Amino acid sequence: MIQVEGLTKYYGPFKAIDSLSFHADAGEIVGFLGPNGAGKTTTMRILTGYMPPSEGRATIAGFDVFEQSLQARERIGYLPETVPLYKELTVWQYVDYMAALRGMRNPNRAERVDEVLDRVEMLDRADSMISSLSKGMRQRVGLAQAIVHRPDVLILDEPTIGLDPRQVREVRELVREVGQERTVLLSTHILSEVSQLCSRILIINKGQIVAEDSPATLASRLQGTTRLSVRVGKATPKEVAKAIRGIEGIDEVIPTDEGVEVISSSQADPRSAISATIVQKSWELLEIHSVDMSLEDIFLQLTTDETMDEEEDQDA
Amino acid sequence: MHSVGRSFHNLWTVFRVEFTLFFVSPIVYFVGGVWLLFFGVFFLISLAAFNQGYEPTMAYMLNTMAFLVMFIVPALTMRLVAEEVRQGTHELLLTAPVRDWEVIVGKWLAVWGVMTVFILVSFVYPLFLILRGNPDLGLMASGYLVFWLWNGAVLAVGVLASSLTQYQLVAFIVGEGISLLLFLANALSSSSLIKSELVNNVLSALTLSSHQTSMLDRGLIDPVDITYFVGLMAVFLFLATQMLGTRRWRA
Ligand SMILES: Nc1ncnc2c1ncn2[C@@H]1O[C@H](COP(=O)(O)OP(=O)(O)OP(=O)(O)O)[C@@H](O)[C@H]1O
Ligand SMILES: [Mg+2]
Repeated sequence: MIQVEGLTKYYGPFKAIDSLSFHADAGEIVGFLGPNGAGKTTTMRILTGYMPPSEGRATIAGFDVFEQSLQARERIGYLPETVPLYKELTVWQYVDYMAALRGMRNPNRAERVDEVLDRVEMLDRADSMISSLSKGMRQRVGLAQAIVHRPDVLILDEPTIGLDPRQVREVRELVREVGQERTVLLSTHILSEVSQLCSRILIINKGQIVAEDSPATLASRLQGTTRLSVRVGKATPKEVAKAIRGIEGIDEVIPTDEGVEVISSSQADPRSAISATIVQKSWELLEIHSVDMSLEDIFLQLTTDETMDEEEDQDA
Repeated sequence: MHSVGRSFHNLWTVFRVEFTLFFVSPIVYFVGGVWLLFFGVFFLISLAAFNQGYEPTMAYMLNTMAFLVMFIVPALTMRLVAEEVRQGTHELLLTAPVRDWEVIVGKWLAVWGVMTVFILVSFVYPLFLILRGNPDLGLMASGYLVFWLWNGAVLAVGVLASSLTQYQLVAFIVGEGISLLLFLANALSSSSLIKSELVNNVLSALTLSSHQTSMLDRGLIDPVDITYFVGLMAVFLFLATQMLGTRRWRA
């Protein structure tokens, strides 16, 4: 449904996204995950035909988003990052306007507007002026306009931002429902959201995709990896790090404020070797325990390592 | 794919909502009030002239109003595109399956519709003349036609001005400036500031008065004059469409 090849976008000399390639099929919910400024919104704006790419191409249902923009746009429902609303219209008028712009005609249109407002629990506010709505309500109205015409592809830029917990659940439910037959691409910073909803996750950092997999596979990529937190008395973290760095099966030792963090990917548990070394040095082993690696860690690891590498490059 | 029927649907959709939006904003009532005020003043002046035995004619009033609309009309159009850009709602229009020109023309038709309502209100005046005197109805009709077309052209200028910026005040001033040029271009040529005959001819061909006089004073409808007004609308709406399109690059 969505096919992206080598998509690049420059803002002036600044490269916001750098030859992105990915695809999303019907019946798939794909999560777009990345820190602020990673290029999520930029990518979505190209996919929705809002702006042209600098290089590369993207198609929606086989239609090029730039060359055959109208046909591509015909098939998209889009919720931009800052929900664009006409404050002087009522909720009903607004959703009806958006449905009409997407080519829906009466009498079906009016029925569908009622239906979709009911779906986002805004039917009782249908005649309210949009300017009088709360932030969460506005978000729901924005969502209503994105799905009103039953688009093949739904593109949601941070859809659950500003919603109360119950509404967050409702919206996820709705996305899951839509995602059963159609294609959903959503961006978020909430990691639990993608792991619950998405069949596939794209982690993007500085305009590049740094990981692409199902939440389960991404998590299992770290299954073989253990992270230990070690606290030692009578020695500074730096001394400890130096002493245990050479131990077999240890990939990385990071001194922290309180102790050291040890990353190991070998089958052998390095814990006994670590404690033996510390005892041998006549230090005091205060604590050694393993820390679960979550999606959050993958995210941080993938998106911060990159930064550190680059800084080192610059230093050199 | 994108049929004529679909274009009509899109134009009507944009028109309908924009027309509604006019009547929820206070500006339209303010502009309407100013319009009626000026109108009332002319009415009284003309009434006095009529009672002193002058010919019952519309030319004086329509000519003056043609000047005044340039200051009134940009207040109606300044919001149309500028506010969309400022609020970010243009992102919806530019990602909906509608063409840029359908958005621009739909908006322009809406504001011309509003102006047409105002003009219809001013029919009280010719009605009075018809009841009291024996005016030339053809002259009256052609006078109103030229005035209505001029309004359409000034509104197209206003839509262009609004698509240049996200600041309504800038749109207002630019809209006034461009229409004033159209109104006064021949003042430049008659000022003997410009020596080239060709430039002078072009300037006077672009000027409103060269195209309104025969319709206003003599009731003659010349295809050249009609083309002038339709051409102005087409050119400014085309430019406005292009400017809206540049938002995709200026994003
Ligand atoms: N209109 C613009 N002009 C210039 N640079 C821009 C523009 N829009 C975005 N950028 C830059 O492009 C980069 C990517 O921005 P983008 O909005 O796509 O990030 P994002 O992943 O959506 O971030 P967030 O999570 O904060 O929403 C950023 O560095 C941003 O400063
Ligand atoms: Mg963003």
